[in-house]
Amino acid sequence: MTLEIWLIFAAVLFAFGIYAVVARRNLIAVLIGVELMLNAASLNFMAFNRFVATDPATGQIIVLFIMGLAAAEVAIALSIVVQVFRNRGGIRTDDLNELKG
Amino acid sequence: MTPIQLAMLLLAAPFVAFVLGLVCFRNRHAVASGLTVAAGAVSLGCALMLFLNGPIAEPITTTWLSSSGLDIGFGVLLDGPTLLMGLIVTFIALCVEVYALSYMSHDPGRGRFFSFLGLFSWAMLSFVYAANLLQAFIFWELVGLASFLLIGFWYQKPTAIAAAKKAFIMTRIGDVGLFVGLIFLLTDAGTLDITVVNQPETVAKLAEGRLDLITLLMFMGIVGKSAQFPLHTWLPDAMEGPTPVSALLHSATMVAAGVFLFARFHPLFMAAPATLEIVLLIASITAFLAATMAVVVLDMKRVLAFSSISQLGYMLMGLAAGGLFAGMFHLTTHAIFKALLFLVAGAYIHHVGSNDMIAIGRAGGRKMKATTIGLIAGGAALAGIPPFAGFFSKESILHEVGAGGHTIPMVLGFAAAFLTAYYTFRMIFLVTRPNPESAAVEQEPAGAQFGDDHHHDEHDSAPWPMRAPILLLALGAAGAGFFGDALGAFLGLEVVHPPLAEMAPAIGIALAGVALAWWDFGRASADQVGFVSKLGALHTLLVNQWFIDRLYFGVIVRRVIDFARLCFGFEQKGVDGGTDAIGLRTIEAGKSAARSQGGWLQVYVATAIVVVSILSLYVSL
Repeated sequence: MTLEIWLIFAAVLFAFGIYAVVARRNLIAVLIGVELMLNAASLNFMAFNRFVATDPATGQIIVLFIMGLAAAEVAIALSIVVQVFRNRGGIRTDDLNELKG
Repeated sequence: MTPIQLAMLLLAAPFVAFVLGLVCFRNRHAVASGLTVAAGAVSLGCALMLFLNGPIAEPITTTWLSSSGLDIGFGVLLDGPTLLMGLIVTFIALCVEVYALSYMSHDPGRGRFFSFLGLFSWAMLSFVYAANLLQAFIFWELVGLASFLLIGFWYQKPTAIAAAKKAFIMTRIGDVGLFVGLIFLLTDAGTLDITVVNQPETVAKLAEGRLDLITLLMFMGIVGKSAQFPLHTWLPDAMEGPTPVSALLHSATMVAAGVFLFARFHPLFMAAPATLEIVLLIASITAFLAATMAVVVLDMKRVLAFSSISQLGYMLMGLAAGGLFAGMFHLTTHAIFKALLFLVAGAYIHHVGSNDMIAIGRAGGRKMKATTIGLIAGGAALAGIPPFAGFFSKESILHEVGAGGHTIPMVLGFAAAFLTAYYTFRMIFLVTRPNPESAAVEQEPAGAQFGDDHHHDEHDSAPWPMRAPILLLALGAAGAGFFGDALGAFLGLEVVHPPLAEMAPAIGIALAGVALAWWDFGRASADQVGFVSKLGALHTLLVNQWFIDRLYFGVIVRRVIDFARLCFGFEQKGVDGGTDAIGLRTIEAGKSAARSQGGWLQVYVATAIVVVSILSLYVSL
């Protein structure tokens, strides 16, 4: 197992995340896409930590922070999604265009 | 009171009436009209006392402008011509104001009318009494302004507005010349004081060519103001104003200002023979041309307007031929009988409701006795029938012109005298000897003016405020001619009595005109059409006033309008359009930019990703 394989895997994961964020019309799917992108980043950190870093603790600490951040983000985002569903009766991203010019 | 106090009171009274009338009492008509009439009476009283005091040769002035060797005074000059003219102006103005009390009694704007009359007399009197050409010029322009306001008094009428504008612009053309002449006079002679300018030493200081130039430029102003050819076309149109305005404008104020300016600077003009030749020619052409136009007109006021132009030509002829007395005398008598004739015309028009002489005659105009007496007295004076006033003054003018040996002006003057007698008695006969069976066609039936709301009373006479001035002026028109000697003595001028042999042709020619008018209009079987109207081409030429107005319209007015339209187009499309385009394009650009702000969350994200990837690519490469 080399560094490249991990990096390619993370990039693929990141691309899936982008696809979900850009193409899916469901807010929850978009959130999942965001999580995928965060995890792809975490995976990169871990891979670099394993193969390149001199101090093995640095990458792991960053990944732990990312996990905490993602948990907090999901908690807020899901509550927003719930509120959107209650107020508008749907969570399609197309409908949320009030701020257009 | 001292003369200066009298003069100040004389000038202040109409000004106060004007300001109070316009500012405080515009809608309280009785107060405004009463003020103006009272001011007119005060002015007349002052003018009379000044007149009886006798002339004072030296002007009473105080320095007004003083700058680097230039001293311009401000004050009054109380010499003979001023006092005479002041008396005429105040007398005619008072007559007209009293007359207007009745004539304008139904007009909704008469408060404004009377305050404008106050402005008119104030401006004219200040012009007459001015001791300085610059001062005179200021009031000369104010006279023009007042006549603009009064000609356009019925501002709802488009023709009245057009006439007012025409009068203002046409006189302005001449005024430019006068103003340039004034500046040249100031730079060359170094003074504008009327008495100083007229002294031989000052005249001698001017170079030959400069003197001609200055006097010609000043004459330009006179041509505009006194409606001489080729700037005469505004005066007939000025008939659009109320009739009292015409009476004032044609006799003592406005048009008389031009002639008076010439009389004022008579010594200066006499020193420029080249100018005098031109003045004499233009004046005699005017006298003749205007008389021919009057022959075919049926509108009573227009007949009188053309006769004014013609008579002003006579005055300038007399003055230019060297007869200061003759010119001033004719100015005096003309002021009286022309004011009279206009008041008479106004009384007829007011009663019959038409300007058309045939309609006035057929509606029984002659039953208005006082008015008809006025018409005959004024008409006889205008035609130069002895012993009415116009005969003596016209006689002395023709004598001066003849004595100078000016052939062409003499011939034109005699021809105009013939035509004057003809058209005047045409007017008299059409009104006093109406013939319903004649071939004459009314152009404007009785009652066409004032509409239904004007209920003229059944008894056939004008109210007394109209009758009294008419009778008073009729007396003047009949008798003023006998005061020529007294007038000459007052002015300190030599009065020349032409010998009887010389008078005979003029009397004969006037009587011939009357006889022709009798043949065409007076006798019972006359067809009342007139010999001119039977000559088709000549009739067309005269009805169209020698096509001078049309020529001006075609050659000048239309070009000016075209140019104005061009400028308007440039302003609209170029300047306006340009700035508009900048605004419109900005708005459009904003709108198309706003379209990208579609509110699609995912497009934003995608855009951000694309941009970041491009940026990172750029950085890494």
